[in-house]
Amino acid sequence: MDRNNIKHWLKNPAKMAHKYSLTVTYFCTGCGIIEIPPTITARWDAERFGVTPGASPRHANLFLITGYVSLKTLKAIIRSYEQMPDPKFVVAFGSCPINGGMYWDSYNTIKSLDKYIPVDGWIAGCMPRPETIFIGVTHLWTLIDKEMADGYKKYKKNYKFYRKNQEMLYGKLDWEPFYPIGGDNE
Amino acid sequence: MNKKLIDEIITTFKNTKCQMIENKRLIINTKKDIIHPLLKYLKDKEFTRLALISCVDWINDNEFEIIYILTSYLLEHEKSEINVIVKTRIARDKPQIKSIIPIFENAEFYEREICEMFGVHFEGHPRLISLFLEIKYDIPPFRKDFILREFCENTFDKIPPVGDEK
Repeated sequence: MDRNNIKHWLKNPAKMAHKYSLTVTYFCTGCGIIEIPPTITARWDAERFGVTPGASPRHANLFLITGYVSLKTLKAIIRSYEQMPDPKFVVAFGSCPINGGMYWDSYNTIKSLDKYIPVDGWIAGCMPRPETIFIGVTHLWTLIDKEMADGYKKYKKNYKFYRKNQEMLYGKLDWEPFYPIGGDNE
Repeated sequence: MNKKLIDEIITTFKNTKCQMIENKRLIINTKKDIIHPLLKYLKDKEFTRLALISCVDWINDNEFEIIYILTSYLLEHEKSEINVIVKTRIARDKPQIKSIIPIFENAEFYEREICEMFGVHFEGHPRLISLFLEIKYDIPPFRKDFILREFCENTFDKIPPVGDEK
């Protein structure tokens, strides 16, 4: 933290608050969750970056998806994502949510996560080291500063298309649309 | 002890072949209608625990192989120190076999899994519904004629990315 930046922060204090207190929902979908305990405990200590584990998605604003996403988990991911309060950021951790990774021809694993929910950042690797989470988080800070981490706005705006993609995969979804479909969601 | 068991099995059940591997595993090949009395007999002996039901798709023989693995819960000095593997083959065109839930209750989930992954129908199963899978597949996905790449191209790759509509 740079004291010279205080003026800059005072222009938009809310943005600073979002940046430096990221409460995370670790979504333990796959093997990536192995990297999380060392990250949040004394060895790497994620609290230095203001990253703390959240108790529930309703208290969190960073959604870290660690590992492959099977069809059953994607349902849970969508529903957890919709419960999170705005502003919310999604970071996909590992190569499986990016393009399928080693599950590229699996019958039950989705290949790219950003067809179903908006993703703000990707951390590539199989497995990424805990340091990459901090690199990802610092990149996310710059994105938040420049107002480029606007996945939740995109979700609201393009909800029709996201919902259509979700329904293409599952047939009929057993929950109501989160935003009104067909209405102007601007 | 083991030899006695093998002799008893061969004499009481017709059409069975026994084979011992590494003095640890007893493999019994049998017909599908002998499965019920054979498992009941083994359960009365000492093999009271069903460890696993598995299935193999022998596509060239046009057959499925159903495998039951039984182990014993007795103490080390009492038991015969072998696992029993019961194998049977069923036709691939119309795969049907009797459920073994009356003998081993924990078979329910194994049978549901095999039904979902291989499409084998278990007669007498109380709720033969989906266990793991979320969507419907034309061919059950663990069969050898299920082509993974083709399926991915038809389902996952066809879904368009969401762009910025302006």
